[in-house]
Amino acid sequence: MRAAALPAARRAAGLVPSLEALGAWLLGLVWALPLLYSLWTAFHPAAYETHFTLGAPVTLANFAAARQAAPFARYLFNTALLISFILAGQMVVSTLAAFAFARFTFRGRTLAFYAVLLQLMILPEALMVENYRTVAALGLVDTIPAIGLPYLASGFGIFLLRQAFLTVPRELDDAARVEGAGPLGLLWRVYLPVSRATLVAYGLVSVSYHWNNLLWPLIVTNSVGTRPITVGLLIFASPDQGVSWALVAASSLMSAAPLLVGFLLFQRAFVQSFMRAGIK
Amino acid sequence: MPPIRLPAAARVLSALLAASLLASTALPARAAEKVHLSFFYPVAIGGPVTRIVDDLVADFETANPDVDVKAVYAGTYQETIGKALTARKGGQSPDVAVLLSADMFTMIDQDAVLPVDGFAKDEAAKAWLGGFFPAFMRNSRTADHVWGIPFQRSTTVLYWNKDAFKEAGLDPEKAPQSWDELVADGKKLTKADAAGQTTQWGVQIPSNLTAYWLLQGLAAQAGALLTGDGSGTTVTFDAPGVVSAMQFWVDLAQKHHVMKPGSIDWATTPKDFFERKAAIMYTTTGNLTNVRKNAPFPFGVAMLPADKQRGTPTGGGNLYVFKTGDAAREAAAFKLVRFLSSPERAAEWGIKTGYVATRPDAWETPAMKSYVQEFPPAAVARDQLQYAVAELSTYDNQRVARTMDDAIQAVLTGAKTPAAALQGAQAEADRLLKPYR
Repeated sequence: MRAAALPAARRAAGLVPSLEALGAWLLGLVWALPLLYSLWTAFHPAAYETHFTLGAPVTLANFAAARQAAPFARYLFNTALLISFILAGQMVVSTLAAFAFARFTFRGRTLAFYAVLLQLMILPEALMVENYRTVAALGLVDTIPAIGLPYLASGFGIFLLRQAFLTVPRELDDAARVEGAGPLGLLWRVYLPVSRATLVAYGLVSVSYHWNNLLWPLIVTNSVGTRPITVGLLIFASPDQGVSWALVAASSLMSAAPLLVGFLLFQRAFVQSFMRAGIK
Repeated sequence: MPPIRLPAAARVLSALLAASLLASTALPARAAEKVHLSFFYPVAIGGPVTRIVDDLVADFETANPDVDVKAVYAGTYQETIGKALTARKGGQSPDVAVLLSADMFTMIDQDAVLPVDGFAKDEAAKAWLGGFFPAFMRNSRTADHVWGIPFQRSTTVLYWNKDAFKEAGLDPEKAPQSWDELVADGKKLTKADAAGQTTQWGVQIPSNLTAYWLLQGLAAQAGALLTGDGSGTTVTFDAPGVVSAMQFWVDLAQKHHVMKPGSIDWATTPKDFFERKAAIMYTTTGNLTNVRKNAPFPFGVAMLPADKQRGTPTGGGNLYVFKTGDAAREAAAFKLVRFLSSPERAAEWGIKTGYVATRPDAWETPAMKSYVQEFPPAAVARDQLQYAVAELSTYDNQRVARTMDDAIQAVLTGAKTPAAALQGAQAEADRLLKPYR
């Protein structure tokens, strides 16, 4: 009795401010629905794809069937390798370029920066043939670097980091110079630590984009040893037939699991880093 | 407090680069005297298709030890043609690819493929080339040459739920044979609950994605073609027979009330059939294995009902030999194409995937004979081939087909009348095709 009364009282007290909470729950639910649906379909036989009864038998058969259809472990490994390669490359290139645009004056700086901004407006798909030519000339077709190379010099990353670096107070910069820091030391000791939140945010966007990228990896790779997980998932998109949602859900869950788990583990660090960016 | 120093990241980068470079150069060095082919194929149906292809290719390599084939799974048909043409422009053309039979003019326009008849010089090869179903060859020939060899081909058929027929008081062993019977049966099969909501529709003809494909069947039954003069530069979207076929399609929903009104999804149509939301469905023979495995009731497969005559489109993928300029590779590519479309392999591929085996002699192989005996519906698509018409295939095919799809959508959603929509599509297609005339 008491156990039931207590939450009721609490609920009554929190009734008025809960409009906000209600909105948050509603938005959260809308966001989570596809995920919940995948969880449902992945763990139940195909007959229950659109029948939601509690008594539905739970099964792991979909995962087994999906695993049978493609070497997912290898694909996941390739994706991990690809993501690390792209992220490392982007961080190096974007930081150096952004630092140059933010704090150095040199001839043609504005023009060069406009060129970088221009890249933001061109869809990567439009350059696919040209990129393929370049990659082929380098002898890199069907390698993981071939998938990553076109994305290393990211206009978005350079732009974002330049904006972050521009907000670093000149006083900090001057103080470090007085202490005898060179340009690279300055970047490493002052600019990067201050801009950590931006770096993390950019890293998140980049990782999730490249985790999901499909068309370019599909075109430039030919072997199981180089293809990322998205290409593996494509096998289930059989357009001549109906789509087997159970298999699609099971395989998507398998491929998204590392990202989901990673986010849950580091959630606090992500949120904190965004908070810090806000406070500053 | 620097956690990693910059040079370390740079070292990782260069190591990765070097490793992958090594991996890519090590392969070709292994066997220098062999001919290396790359073979791109799409997967358009469920099931372990990549494994079936790998097995076929392994058999070919055993029979031809001097040829090494790399089979590359390349996504959907659209992605496969994109990949093949991109790779070609990058100087890494595939040698053989499975692409839509309807994309023939696009491939010729891109100067990417070779006529296959140029390779078939001896008597045996000529006999092989002449041995395919004529219906499938209609989308393989133009300008007196053969450009594509039928491989994974399909037609539209009608699937019906025998239990639903029994419940409606119809003969469960007899599918509707004509448009009138389709409407009459459909009316008996359409059921509503107490609230007036329809729980089971009589007929379902999907209308997104592949609408133009299915309309070709209805038009052929009404005695009309969409394909113009077959040169790839004309279409006849507004022919009277096409308009009356379109009228019949929309009437099924709007006038006879035996089909769900509005647009119907292609991908979920088999699902609707399994869940008894529709008692009859029109879809590809490529679905046969899927229906056989998943339908929770006895079902039948029949030819499409006739109006003036029977009719069905063909669809699916052909094998193309790419122009690489390397005579040894081109000759080996032809060998591969011939191997994959030999009677035994065509039968094997048909049995394992559900596609229609492309040659009459493939149906005479022992494997195919015992398959048909065990599962007679497999032969329906073959028997229907005598009524099959050429599939819509033009230059700039994807865009021309899109104009037709949009017109069909407009009619089914009630936005336009059939005549107005189809005349609009005709004008748009004429505009697209003008540069090629």
